[in-house]
Amino acid sequence: MLQKIYDWVDERVDITPLWRDIADHEVPEHVNPAHHFSAFVYCFGGLTFFVTVIQVLSGMFLTMYYVHDIENAWRSVYYLQTEVAHGQIVRGMHHWGASVVIVMLFLHTLRVFFQGAYKKPRELNWMVGVLIFFVMLGLGLTGYLLPWDNKAYFATQVTLEIAEGVPFVGEATKALLAGDPNIVGAQTLTRFFAIHVFFLPAALFALMAIHFIMIRKQGISGPL
Amino acid sequence: MSEKRNQVSRRQFLNYTLTGVGGFMAAGMLAPMVRFAIDPVLKTSAQSDMVAVADLSEISDEPTRIDWTIDQVDGWYESEVPKSAWVYKDENDDIIALSPVCKHLGCFVNWQGDESHPDQFYCPCHDGRYYKSGVNVPNTPPEEPLDEFEVRIDGQTLYLGQTKPHREA
Amino acid sequence: MKKGKGMKFVGDSRISADKERFIPKDYSEYPGKTEAFWPNFLLKEWLVGAVFLVGFLCLAVAHPAPLEGPADPTDASYLPLPDWYFLFLYQFLKYDFVTTVYGAVIVPGIAFGALFLAPFLDRGKERRPHKRPIATSLMLLGIISVFWLTYEAAAAVDWEEKAEENKPEPTSEVEIDTEHPGYAAYENSCLSCHGGELEGTAGPSLIGIDYSAEEIEEIAIDGIGDMPPGQFDGTDEELQQLAEFIVSVNEQAED
Repeated sequence: MLQKIYDWVDERVDITPLWRDIADHEVPEHVNPAHHFSAFVYCFGGLTFFVTVIQVLSGMFLTMYYVHDIENAWRSVYYLQTEVAHGQIVRGMHHWGASVVIVMLFLHTLRVFFQGAYKKPRELNWMVGVLIFFVMLGLGLTGYLLPWDNKAYFATQVTLEIAEGVPFVGEATKALLAGDPNIVGAQTLTRFFAIHVFFLPAALFALMAIHFIMIRKQGISGPL
Repeated sequence: MSEKRNQVSRRQFLNYTLTGVGGFMAAGMLAPMVRFAIDPVLKTSAQSDMVAVADLSEISDEPTRIDWTIDQVDGWYESEVPKSAWVYKDENDDIIALSPVCKHLGCFVNWQGDESHPDQFYCPCHDGRYYKSGVNVPNTPPEEPLDEFEVRIDGQTLYLGQTKPHREA
Repeated sequence: MKKGKGMKFVGDSRISADKERFIPKDYSEYPGKTEAFWPNFLLKEWLVGAVFLVGFLCLAVAHPAPLEGPADPTDASYLPLPDWYFLFLYQFLKYDFVTTVYGAVIVPGIAFGALFLAPFLDRGKERRPHKRPIATSLMLLGIISVFWLTYEAAAAVDWEEKAEENKPEPTSEVEIDTEHPGYAAYENSCLSCHGGELEGTAGPSLIGIDYSAEEIEEIAIDGIGDMPPGQFDGTDEELQQLAEFIVSVNEQAED
């Protein structure tokens, strides 16, 4: 039955090459922990991706209850955490996932760095990877404000003051981020929400796609 | 030949295991999130209390409009929501409290809202009409009688609760 | 795929009508112990992923995500801290010799710029860490300083006390009875630190405290914790009224 549906679709859209291209490639011995236990260092990239998937899913579900408005943001977070079934766990996954993803990215970066895997021909992929790291830090920074608790408010105020200290463009940057030259408030929260939920994830998905395509093109770096 | 068949079954085995492990991961990840999302369906709605809305002396045989507000808790948002009812005493001196929401498309009905049909509820949106009992006049747009409020009388005070379908519906 | 003449398409589309039978590649002929990504290697990866997920879910269940009280811009006693992965930058900016421009722009700019451009700074063919000592030692230096700064920042904070002081409590809706005989004493002696609605500003909130009237009288005179003694200034009767006032607000908040 399933085979018949598959054949019907495949006859019309020719999907076999699409997934075979992803599924059908070789994995060399030196990255396989079954042969060399030290190859576990190659897991960090995959685990980063896995946690990113968890982040995307839990984030999508959290927006079912969250409101990005200073009057209601904290109350909606408090509500979803105390009144909604499993709200504690879903928010916990998003909160801890943010930390774990940074840890995994850090380990993955160190693995690539110390193996010199960024050398020719993989310079571009390294740079894309560093950009992904920056985007992740940006996601962490903007996500921190969203619950609108004391921690969120004061940490963001400090961040914005640091941004203001930058010569020439500082004040404009601050006004652009906060939505107002002087107030950290309603407009800051909506901006950070938009950046956290739409702009940075869009950048992240694009960069991840480039990262993966390049890995498939160039193959994994050889053994040391 | 036999070796080849063996290889295929090994591959199938790996595929099944892969599906199993993948399913486990998907389930572990999604189970809390799905339960989180469908919570409104599974939450038992708190039965709201009856609210004192009027004194019995205000009620006559003629439907009168009574307005009151209830405290509504909507997740993290608490608000006062206005409610109205058409209330009168029927021939047995029982109190009838009808919801003013037309069963056609949800407009507000008025008692004697149309001059050519006295002693009927009239909905201005699509000329829907109801008899005094709340039952819809045949051949007008509404197809069901107006909803009724739960009624309780304590001493001289009238309490109203949730709406429920009309007793003749 | 066949090329040129003789190709058959599905309808008027460009999809080939000749379907090749799907034959999995046999990687056993390749040099080394190469194996197929699907399903052999992916299964191993997913097993690791499943174990990781179980551990991760345990973490999420055992440690609920922290939430502090709603943002209160007037809370002057609050110590702002960034998330842990920015603590190193926070600590770096705390040192006296580090100006904002230097600490927030120049140094991180150079460090992250170098990280971004690493392939062009370290151009040798050699990949082993000990064969490229400059890159390796700079990276190690970076890691050590980030770890050290993070540790310094984290060690200076009493995390338990901070969590204790910032419990998530919905904004109280107590009504302050300014007619209460104890309110005048509260206004004179306590309001500047504990706030007009007992919500706490420099000092902690007085709502939800677990003290009797006598204990409150004692604290008002002798102080407690960071609160110095001698805050209250008035007669014994006023002191008693003050304690009654604070207790009455607490009783009201519990309803």
